[in-house]
Amino acid sequence: MGGIILLKRRKRHLLYLTVPGLLMIGFFVLIPLMNSVRLAFFTWNGYSQNMKFVGMKNFISLLSDKRLGRTTVNTLIYGIGSCVLQNILGLAAALLVNRRFRGRGVMRAVIYMPVMISAFIMGKVMSYLFSFDNGVANDILAIFGRGPVNWLGNSWIGILLITLINSWQYLGLCMLIYLAGLQGISSSYIEAGVIDGAGPIQLFFHVKLPLLIPSITTGIVTNLINGLKIYEMVTGLTGGGPDRQTMSLAQYIQLLYFNDEKAGYAGAVGVFMFFFIMLIAMPINKWLKSREINL
Amino acid sequence: MKKKRRIYEKAALALLCAAIILVFFFPLYVLVNVSLREFTDLSSRLIPTKNPIPDNYREILENPLFWKALRNTCAVFLLDVLFQIPIASIAGYGLARSQGRIVNMIRSFNILVMMLPGTALLVGTYSLMTKLHLTNSLVGLALLEAGTSMTGAMFFYTTFSTMIPVDLDDAAAIDGAGVIRTYFQIILPQMKAITVTRIISLLIVSFNSYLMPLYLLTKADKYTVLLFVRKIFASSNAVADIPLAFASCMIMIAPMLLLYFLLQKQIIGSQLDSAVKG
Repeated sequence: MGGIILLKRRKRHLLYLTVPGLLMIGFFVLIPLMNSVRLAFFTWNGYSQNMKFVGMKNFISLLSDKRLGRTTVNTLIYGIGSCVLQNILGLAAALLVNRRFRGRGVMRAVIYMPVMISAFIMGKVMSYLFSFDNGVANDILAIFGRGPVNWLGNSWIGILLITLINSWQYLGLCMLIYLAGLQGISSSYIEAGVIDGAGPIQLFFHVKLPLLIPSITTGIVTNLINGLKIYEMVTGLTGGGPDRQTMSLAQYIQLLYFNDEKAGYAGAVGVFMFFFIMLIAMPINKWLKSREINL
Repeated sequence: MKKKRRIYEKAALALLCAAIILVFFFPLYVLVNVSLREFTDLSSRLIPTKNPIPDNYREILENPLFWKALRNTCAVFLLDVLFQIPIASIAGYGLARSQGRIVNMIRSFNILVMMLPGTALLVGTYSLMTKLHLTNSLVGLALLEAGTSMTGAMFFYTTFSTMIPVDLDDAAAIDGAGVIRTYFQIILPQMKAITVTRIISLLIVSFNSYLMPLYLLTKADKYTVLLFVRKIFASSNAVADIPLAFASCMIMIAPMLLLYFLLQKQIIGSQLDSAVKG
């Protein structure tokens, strides 16, 4: 590196360039963050002048909140379920479009297409497809002579649908992560494998997969975090219903603040959710990073 | 024998591709099919409707609130670009060149911000925005959106800037250019392509942004397109006018998909690039 000319003063000037950006982050991320943590120590309905300091009370009520338990389980299903599905299907899709055949560009574009569409709209459209009367899913069942199913009336079917549709919609993101990884594998490794007599399956498991671990890290960590933060798909598809049984943590916070007027408690759930995500994502990230091969 | 196997392989591949296309286009097919119907047309949604009508589309396009919403959305997008791109690109350059600890710090900070749930942030933001009288303000919304995605944008520009050779800086420094001049004359021209991709992803993000607009823009004349569509889904209390709502969805989605298929090489290419670097 030609660092000789970069004098100390120049370096300081370079750091000044980051000041406006850091100010924006401070103002719109850090202050709101501290604000919602601060709120967690008060009871407040969200709009009145009347705020009462209650210490740890909101955090203690977290422990006895049955809704929070169910919501946390749902969120785990959304997070882990979508992460697993998206990574497996995304890798499969990447392997497909990485093959040389006519139309692979089209396939790539088609699989990535739903990423362009708002998750809220996707949820709304899907809730119609799966509605009890006039739903398309029931139209299909009728062709096979089956009676209609009340898909969204059952919370477990609702949870399954949210996970499946979310995974399907954002499958393209994962495909691109793996495609980038596959294209980064030098062909000399593959050739070496072929010379050693490896078949396509061996080639995949013993040559490609180990070299893909950096992509796997990115794929798993980002999809896990996004799945645990799921909100729009849930509001669009089930609205959290029936009886708030399919709610995700993010949606619970929103309902607590804007519907139930429990701003302080919403803040406490927010703090809980942040640590919940961190406790799941951080160790996984660390473990995967330790398995990456440095070539 | 080998030839026969290849034919089977090709057939299987074609079948797989056809199945994938079916799964990805089926919801769109239903969307279009229903949006062309009369409210009372309840025939099977799997079969194209017998008397398609354009009335739903006409009703949306003749609604002045739709055009207002489109203008608002475009305004928020442009302001987003204005507030984010210059600040993020100059900061990214600064970070990339100051190397070491601070870059690593911003990298971990970026992951931390990624883990922050949007709704939890909104709880803290909402009272702040009310205090500053920035609710029902497009500028306020754009500032907020630019601010919350600033870490990601800075990180994006930092990783890109580290790939611009430092020799260019050194040459400029020998010629007596300060950091600002170096940035504008040497670095900025190099960032053109990457900035276009960033603007495209901001376009997608700001058109699909839901949570922040929902709570910050409560007046109908401040709505974004997505809020306008949401309102149509919600407005009829007893039986929702699904064909009308679907037409509004189509009007929102169709231009985006058109743009996507026209620019898909660039859009996917840019995402591929950031997947490699990220």
